[in-house]
Amino acid sequence: MATAVRATMTRGSSASLEEAKHRVVDFFREVCRYLPSIMDRYNLYEVITPAQLRSQISAQFRKHSDVTNRKVIDLLVFKGQEELQYCLDHAKQRHHLLSTYVVGREGMVQHNKLGVLDHGESEFLKNFYQSNSL
Amino acid sequence: MVRGSKCYKVLQARGNANFRCLISPGCKAATEAPAEGTILRRNAAPISDSGYCRSFNYAAFSSTKCSQPESCTRIPLNLMRALANRSIDVSSLGASSSVQRTPVCSGSTGLIGSGGGLQSVRHLQTLAVTPTGPKIIKADTEETIEVSVDGHSLQIPKGMTVLQACEVAGKEIPRFCYHSRLSIAGNCRMCLVEVEKTPKPVASCAMPALPGMKIKTDTPLVKKAREGVMEFLLLNHPLDCPICDQGGECDLQDQSMVFGSDRGRFTDTKRSVVDKNLGPLVKTVMTRCIHCTRCVRFASEIAGVPDLGVLGRGGSEEIGTYVENLMTSELSGNVIDICPVGALTSKPFAFTARSWELKSTESIDVSDALGSNIRIDSRGPEVMRIIPRLNEEVNEEWISDKTRFSYDGLKRQRLNEPMIRRPGGYLEPVTWRAALSAVAQAVHQVKPEEMAGVVGKLADAESIIALKDFLNKLGCENTWCEGIGANIDADVRSKYLLNTTIAGVENADVFLLIGTQVRKEAPLLNARIRKAVRNNRAKVATIGPPIDLTYDHEDLGDGTDALIQIAEGKHPFSTLLSKAQHPVVIVGAGVFERSDKDAVMAVVETIVDQAKVVRDDWNGFNVLLLEAAHAAALDLGFVPGVTAKLLSKDHLKFLYLLGADDIKPDDIPKDAFVVYQGHHGDRSAYRANVILPGAAFTEKEGTYESTEGRTQQTSPAVPSVGDARDDWKIIRALSEVVGVQLPYDSVSAVRARFLAVSPNLFRVDELEPPTVWPQSITPRSSSSKIESSPFIKAIDNFYMTNSICRASRTMAQCTSAFANLKQI
Ligand code: SF4
Ligand code: FES
Repeated sequence: MATAVRATMTRGSSASLEEAKHRVVDFFREVCRYLPSIMDRYNLYEVITPAQLRSQISAQFRKHSDVTNRKVIDLLVFKGQEELQYCLDHAKQRHHLLSTYVVGREGMVQHNKLGVLDHGESEFLKNFYQSNSL
Repeated sequence: MVRGSKCYKVLQARGNANFRCLISPGCKAATEAPAEGTILRRNAAPISDSGYCRSFNYAAFSSTKCSQPESCTRIPLNLMRALANRSIDVSSLGASSSVQRTPVCSGSTGLIGSGGGLQSVRHLQTLAVTPTGPKIIKADTEETIEVSVDGHSLQIPKGMTVLQACEVAGKEIPRFCYHSRLSIAGNCRMCLVEVEKTPKPVASCAMPALPGMKIKTDTPLVKKAREGVMEFLLLNHPLDCPICDQGGECDLQDQSMVFGSDRGRFTDTKRSVVDKNLGPLVKTVMTRCIHCTRCVRFASEIAGVPDLGVLGRGGSEEIGTYVENLMTSELSGNVIDICPVGALTSKPFAFTARSWELKSTESIDVSDALGSNIRIDSRGPEVMRIIPRLNEEVNEEWISDKTRFSYDGLKRQRLNEPMIRRPGGYLEPVTWRAALSAVAQAVHQVKPEEMAGVVGKLADAESIIALKDFLNKLGCENTWCEGIGANIDADVRSKYLLNTTIAGVENADVFLLIGTQVRKEAPLLNARIRKAVRNNRAKVATIGPPIDLTYDHEDLGDGTDALIQIAEGKHPFSTLLSKAQHPVVIVGAGVFERSDKDAVMAVVETIVDQAKVVRDDWNGFNVLLLEAAHAAALDLGFVPGVTAKLLSKDHLKFLYLLGADDIKPDDIPKDAFVVYQGHHGDRSAYRANVILPGAAFTEKEGTYESTEGRTQQTSPAVPSVGDARDDWKIIRALSEVVGVQLPYDSVSAVRARFLAVSPNLFRVDELEPPTVWPQSITPRSSSSKIESSPFIKAIDNFYMTNSICRASRTMAQCTSAFANLKQI
C-alpha cells in the first residue's frame, strides 16, 4: 500500500518568487507521479483517462496563474499537498473526485436551463422560474 | 390575597371602620379592592415603620411612580428621613398636599432604567428626551446625590434604589423578584448587599439610596448572604432541570451557578405543589415556583386581570387563580418571560426544543398594526417559538398572545406550488411558467376598468407597491386594501395614523375611544392606555361596542348619538375633553367600513377642533389601523383611483387578491377570473382560478409600517416552503409575462421606488411623524347623513383574525377555551 507514503510537509516560506515557482512545478510533477495509482484506487478508468485527468489538474493550477505573491503561492501549494494527501489516505471517496475533477464543480449544479427554450425573457424571470433564492 | 401591588393596610382595613390612612387620604389603592371609603389606617396612630401604605412607601423610597398619583408625592428627602426617625408630627402633615411636591415622574421613566442590567446606564443619558409626546418628562437629574459603591463614589439621581445605584456603577446585583416594570415586592431577598453602618445586609431593590451611603456588593458577608438565600430557594426547588423547558435560560440555574453553594445540606423531602390550569397557553409546574410574585404583579398591574394571586403563607404558599379559573388575558403569555424559573412555561413550546439549539432572528410581528418587535427562534426550517424583543417605543417588552402563539399556523395549510383551477373545479399543481401565462392570458382578455387589485392584511410594502405599479401600468386604478373601507382619505398622513404615538399615549389624561375595541384590536396599546389610567388617572370614555378594557371607563353607548352630543357640546363628557391637558381621541376599525364614515369622521373632527385635541405641542387625534399592511398601503396610495369609483363590483372580470381573505365569495361575480397570491390556503383560495404561492412574514424580508408611522422590516428566519416565491418577485415576474415589465429587478430597487412614492418607507426603524395637522382644512362638510346605527365589532374573536391564526391549532384551542368568556 502506498498510503502514508508522505505526510504533508510544512516548509519555511520560499525565499524568492523563483523558489516558489519551483515548488509549484515540483508539486505538479509529484501529483502526476501519483495519478496512476489514484486512478486505480478510485476506479477512475471508466470515467476518465489519465491524460484528461492530468489536464483537469493542470487547469486547477492555471486557475491561479496570476498569483505573484510568493506567500500565497506557498499556501496554495500547501493546500494542494493536503488535497493530494487526502486522496492517497482515502480520506476522500470516489464521488469527491468525480465532482471535483471529473465532472467539475459547475457540472454538479442542476441546470433547469438545459432543455428549456429561451423565450427571450429577462435574466430576472429566468432566475424566478428556477428558484426563490437567485 | 393579592400581595405586592396592594397596600398592606388595604388588607388589614377590610371591614374595620377604625382604619384610615393619614398619609394619603386620596389613595386609590383602597378603592380597587375594598368598598369605597374604606378607611385605611388607624386613626391618629403614630407612624410605625411598616405602617404606611405600600404605594406610599414606594413613592417615598424610590423614583417609582406609584399607581396612585394623588398620593404619589416624591417626598423630599429630609422629610423622608424625618419619617424614618419618627421625629415628625404626622398630624401636622395633613393631606399629601402639604407635602412639597417635587416633579412627579411619569410612568415611562418611572423606574429609571429598563429591563435591567446595564441598559439603565444608557437609559439615564436619554432620560430627558421624551419619546414623542410633548409632555416634558424629566427625571430629577438636577438633583443628584452621592453614594459609593464598592469604594467608587458616584453621582446618581435622587430617588434611586440601592439596586439601581449599583447598576449605574456597573455592578450587577442578582435578583428574582425585582422587575423594573413592576412594583417592588422585595420578597426574594436575592439582592442583598451590605451597607456600611447597617447591622444586617439590606435588600437593595427596596432600599432607597441615601446621600453618603457606602454600598458594598462583594464582601464576604454579601457572598454568604446570597449563598444562604440560594440554599433556601433550592430547598424546595425540584432538580428537574434536564426536562425543564426553562433550562438554559433560567435565572435560578444561572444564579445558582454563580452565587450558590457547591453542595447541599438538605436531606429532607421536598415539598410539592399541585399544578394549576391556566388555559391552553401557559403551562404550570408550580413545584418549581420560588414565589417571587412577578406573575401576580404582572397580571394585576400590566395585564389588568387580577386572576393570579398568592394563597397561603410560609411553607404552604402557592401561586394560583383562587378558584379553578383560566387566565383570561390577551397578554397572558408574558408571564412566561417574566417568570424567573420554569414554573410558568409555554404550553405549545413544551418539550419541542432546547433554547440553545435555536437560531434567533430579529423581526417584526404582523398580527396587528402595532409592529411589535419580536425574536423568531427557529430550528432548521421550522419556527419553534416567538418571543418579544425590547422596544420601549412600541411594545416595551411584552407581546400579545396572538403574536406569541400563532406561529404553529405557519406549518399548516400552506400553499407550496402554483395551481390552476381546471374545468372540473379541482386545482392542479403546475409550473410557475404555466401559472403566470394563464394569468397573463386572463389579463389580456379584460378591459382595465374591469380589473381590481385587493391587498390583504399581511402584505408587505414591497408587494403593495409592485401590485400598484403593475395594475396602474395596465391602466387599472381599481385598487383597495381590505379592512380600511372603500373611501378612506389617504391624502394627509395625520388623518390616518396614530399621531400621539404608542408611547405618547401614556401621557394623556382624557381618552375618547370611538368605534374601537382597543383590547382586541391592539392589546399593547390598551396596556399603554391602562398605564395612563393608573399613572395619570386618565379618564376613558368609549363610544362603540361594550368591552371590558381592564380599567375603569365610561360607556357612552354604542351608537353615534353620544358622538353628536359631544360635538354639540351637550354631553357632560365634552367639558371633560376640552378641559383636558392631553386629550386623546382614537378612532378605531368600527368606523372604517361604515357607509356613513365620512359623516362620522366629520363629527369626530368637529370634536377634535372644539376640544383643541390638536395643538402645537400635542396631537391627540388618532386613527388606530387594524392590520399590519394598512399604514403602508395608505402611504403608497393603494386606494381606489378617481376612475375606479364609477364601476360597481358586479362588473369585475379580473380580481387580483394579494393575500386578501376577507372578501366574501358572493361579492365576486361568478365569471370573474380570480388570482390569489398568498401563503395560506385560506378562504379566498377556494374561489381562486390561479394560486400563486408567496412567502409568510417569517420567510421574507418585508417592509411594514405600523399604525403610528414607524417603518420596520421583518427578516427571514426560515426558508420559504416548496416552490413559493417572495411576493414582490411574483408580481414583477407576472408583469413581464403580461408585457408591462416593472422596472425593478432587486429588492433594493423596489425600495428605491419607495423613495419616489413615500420616502418614509425607505427609512427603516424610524418613526416618521405625520406632517403637521392641516389647519387650513376645515372639517369636511359631509354630504352623507350620519346614521345612528351602532358601531360594529371589527374583531369578533381576538384569536382568529388572519390566515395564519386561522391555521393555528393553538389559536383554535384559545377560541374554544375563551369562547364563553366575555372578557376577550
Ligand atoms: S410562578 Fe414564576 S413568576 Fe410567578 S411567583 Fe412563581 S416563580 Fe415567580
Ligand atoms: S430582588 Fe430584591 S428582594 Fe427580590
